[in-house]
Amino acid sequence: MTETRPQVALAVRNLNFYYGQNHALHDISIDFPARKVTAMIGPSGCGKSTLLRIFNRMYDLYPGQRATGEVLFDGRNILETGLDLNILRARIGMVFQKPTPFPMSIYDNIAFGVRLHERLNKADMDARVQDVLTRVALWNEVRDRLNAPAAGLSGGQQQRLCIARSIATRPEVLLLDEPTSALDPISTARIEELLDELKEEFTIAIVTHNMQQAARCADQVAFFYMGRLIEVDTADRIFTNPRQQQTQDYITGRFG
Amino acid sequence: MSDMTTSSSGWAPNANGARRRRMDKLATLLGMVAAGILVLVLTSILWTLLSRGISGLSAAAIMKPMGPPGSGGGLANAILGSLIQTFLALLIATPLGLGCGIYLSEYGNRQNRFASCVRFVSDVLMSVPSILVGLFVYQILVAPFGHFSAFAGSVALAILAVPIIVRTTEDMLRLVPIAMREAGAALGATRWRVTLFLCLRSAKTGVLTGILLALARVSGETAPLLFTSLGNQNWSFSLNRPMASLPVTIYQYAGASYEDWVQLAWAGALLVTMGVLAINIAVRLSARRG
Repeated sequence: MTETRPQVALAVRNLNFYYGQNHALHDISIDFPARKVTAMIGPSGCGKSTLLRIFNRMYDLYPGQRATGEVLFDGRNILETGLDLNILRARIGMVFQKPTPFPMSIYDNIAFGVRLHERLNKADMDARVQDVLTRVALWNEVRDRLNAPAAGLSGGQQQRLCIARSIATRPEVLLLDEPTSALDPISTARIEELLDELKEEFTIAIVTHNMQQAARCADQVAFFYMGRLIEVDTADRIFTNPRQQQTQDYITGRFG
Repeated sequence: MSDMTTSSSGWAPNANGARRRRMDKLATLLGMVAAGILVLVLTSILWTLLSRGISGLSAAAIMKPMGPPGSGGGLANAILGSLIQTFLALLIATPLGLGCGIYLSEYGNRQNRFASCVRFVSDVLMSVPSILVGLFVYQILVAPFGHFSAFAGSVALAILAVPIIVRTTEDMLRLVPIAMREAGAALGATRWRVTLFLCLRSAKTGVLTGILLALARVSGETAPLLFTSLGNQNWSFSLNRPMASLPVTIYQYAGASYEDWVQLAWAGALLVTMGVLAINIAVRLSARRG
C-alpha cells in the first residue's frame, strides 16, 4: 500500500478568490492527479485562468487580490504567507497565452531561469539547454543559431521555447494558460503532442477554450461556470456522458 | 425611365461642392505656408551659421586655446571644457534619472502618493527656466565655497538632464508588456532581476535614446553655466576651478567689438549646432535599429 510517489499533485480545498470586492472563485475543491493532464474548460471570465494563477501565486504581484482556503502541494498549503514564492515558482512552472520570449538569445532564454535556481558549469548548462530544446522538438530547428535573439523565432517556435524555458528549472507541475490560442493549427498539433510526452514527468494543468484540445489531451476535465466548479471527471465521461445539464449544454455548444 | 438616363441634376456641380473644394484648397495652402515659413526660418539659421562660421572653423580655431584679441587664439579649451562638463553631467544624471524612472514605472503606481509627487516635480523641473537652475546651483555650490567651479557647472547641467531621462525611462519601461514581467516572475525571478534583466533590457533602445536626447539638450545650455563654471580664458582641467565652455564663450565673444572674437563665436556656434545635429542623427539611427 505504500506509495513512493504521491497520487495527487495539487489538492484544492474550499478555495475562494477575490479581485478586490469581486468574488471570482466560489468554494472550489478539486484534485490534480500527478503526471496527468487536467484540462479546465468553460466560458470566458468563469475563473479558469484565475485558478491557474493561484497555483504559482501570480496574483501576489497585484495588490487587492487574495485567496482563502487551501491548496496543498507537497504537504504544504501554498496560500500560506511567508512561503518562498521563488521556490514555489521553480517547482510550479507556467506558460502563458502569448509567447513571451525574453530580449536575449535562445540559449540565454533557457539559461536565465536555470541560473536563478542552480549553479551549473558551462558543459552542464549546455547539456540542459540541449535536453529541454530536444524535448520540445525545437533543437533541430535552432541548434545552429542558439546565440540569435529569440524574438526572431516564429510564434509556434517561441511558444515551444517558452515551454522549454519552464521545464528547464525542472518543475513538478506545469501550468498552461491557453498555450495554443495564438498559434496556427500545425504549431498547435505539435504542442499537443508535446503535452502527451511531458505528462510522463510533469503534472499538467491546462486552460483551454478548444474543446477538441481538451478531449485530445486531457485525462481529467473540469468544467467551470461563473466562478464555480460545475463538474470534474475523466475526459471520456465529460464529453460523452456528463452528469450536469450545464456541462452538457456547454460542450454541445448550446451556450458559452 | 428616360428621366433617369438623361438626368443632369445628379452629377451637376452644386454650390456646396464648389465651396467645399475651395475650402479644401485653402486649408492645404495654409498648411503649406506654415510649413514653408518654418523651414525657411530653420534654413536661414543654418545658412547664416554655415556661411559665417565655416570661414572661422580653421585648424587653429580647434587646436589653439582662447587668447587676447588679435593674438590668433582658438576655441580648444572651450571645446574640451564643454566635453568635460557635459560628460560629467551625464555621469551624474544617468544613474539618478534611470533609478528614478525605474522607480516610477515599476513601483510607483497610481495609488502611490510619493511616486505621483516625484513624477510631478520631475515634470515641473523639465520646464523650469535654465537660468533658475544656474542660480540654484550658485547658491549651494558656488557661494558657500567662494569660487566658481566646473563641478558646479556639471551639476547644473545634470539637474536639467535628469527630468528628461526620468520621463523617457518611465515611458519606455511602461511600454514593456505586463506579460514579460509575469513570465519572469513565473520562473521564480525576484522583482529586481525582472526589472533589470528583462524590462530594462527590453526598453534598452528607448532608454538610450532618452539619455542621448538629454545630452543634446544640455550641450547647448549657456544660462546654467554663467553662474557656475563661469568660463575661463586658459586651459583648465580642474573641476574645482572655473572652466570654459562653448556656449559661454559664444555668449562672451559674440558681443565683443573685436572682429576675430566675433568670428570665433560664429565658429563655436556652428560647432555646437553640428554636435547637437550629430547626436540627433545618432538618436534616430539607434531608434530605427531598436
